[in-house]
Amino acid sequence: MQATTMNFLIEPITHDTIVIRVGKALDFRNAADFKAAAQEQVRNGIRSFVLDFTDTGILDSTGLGSIFSLYRQVSPMSGQVVFASVSRPVQVVVQLTRTYKVFRQFPSVEAAREALR
Amino acid sequence: MEVTRQNFNHLDAVIDELHALFESWEQEDALLSHLDPNTIQLFRLAVHEWVANLVQHADFTDREPELVLDVIPNGQRVRCVIEDNSEGFAFPEQLDVQRSALTPFPERGMGLLMLNAATEYFEYSETDDGRRRPEFTV
Repeated sequence: MQATTMNFLIEPITHDTIVIRVGKALDFRNAADFKAAAQEQVRNGIRSFVLDFTDTGILDSTGLGSIFSLYRQVSPMSGQVVFASVSRPVQVVVQLTRTYKVFRQFPSVEAAREALR
Repeated sequence: MEVTRQNFNHLDAVIDELHALFESWEQEDALLSHLDPNTIQLFRLAVHEWVANLVQHADFTDREPELVLDVIPNGQRVRCVIEDNSEGFAFPEQLDVQRSALTPFPERGMGLLMLNAATEYFEYSETDDGRRRPEFTV
């Protein structure tokens, strides 16, 4: 079942894994909303996050910072944050900041879903 | 070289206006057609980071904000100038502050570093009439 939290579509995969559809932009305008939505999921026991960047045309430094915040929160709890269906604008940021060393990437949400199930 | 100029006055709408502009430039396949797709995205990111910095932190006192974006195609590169009438800030010093304060996986303070990494050349100056004038090449 899908749910929308603060403009981010969230889809459960297992009891502790979800997909967050990032949408058109994750930047300084909605990074706080993303952080709040992710924190709520962590409070609910979610530890692994698949971020779906299929439609994402903007990922800026503040948006990336909100993903780092989530990573810092879940990694001590053996959680993980992975990227799926990374669009070109997001890939450019990933390459520029070398965050490919931190966040595993999958060509599709389905591939990430299978890997994390 | 031909200069494409755009003016912006509304800080609450400028990011949307900017990206709509980039999308039209990419679709029309004219202004940015000499650039490879990754360079276009780097250029778009650099402009976004600078303008986002203005929207979040610039002090325009009681003046109506004025942003002027000039885009100048330059061989395999593109040059960009973004003039504004804000009070400005000490760019090189702020860049050093961000660089020295950088912790692993920071939540804030990456904008100028990302802008610096995305650009080949960056210069920040002031015009004769007191406007702030970053100029960069991607």
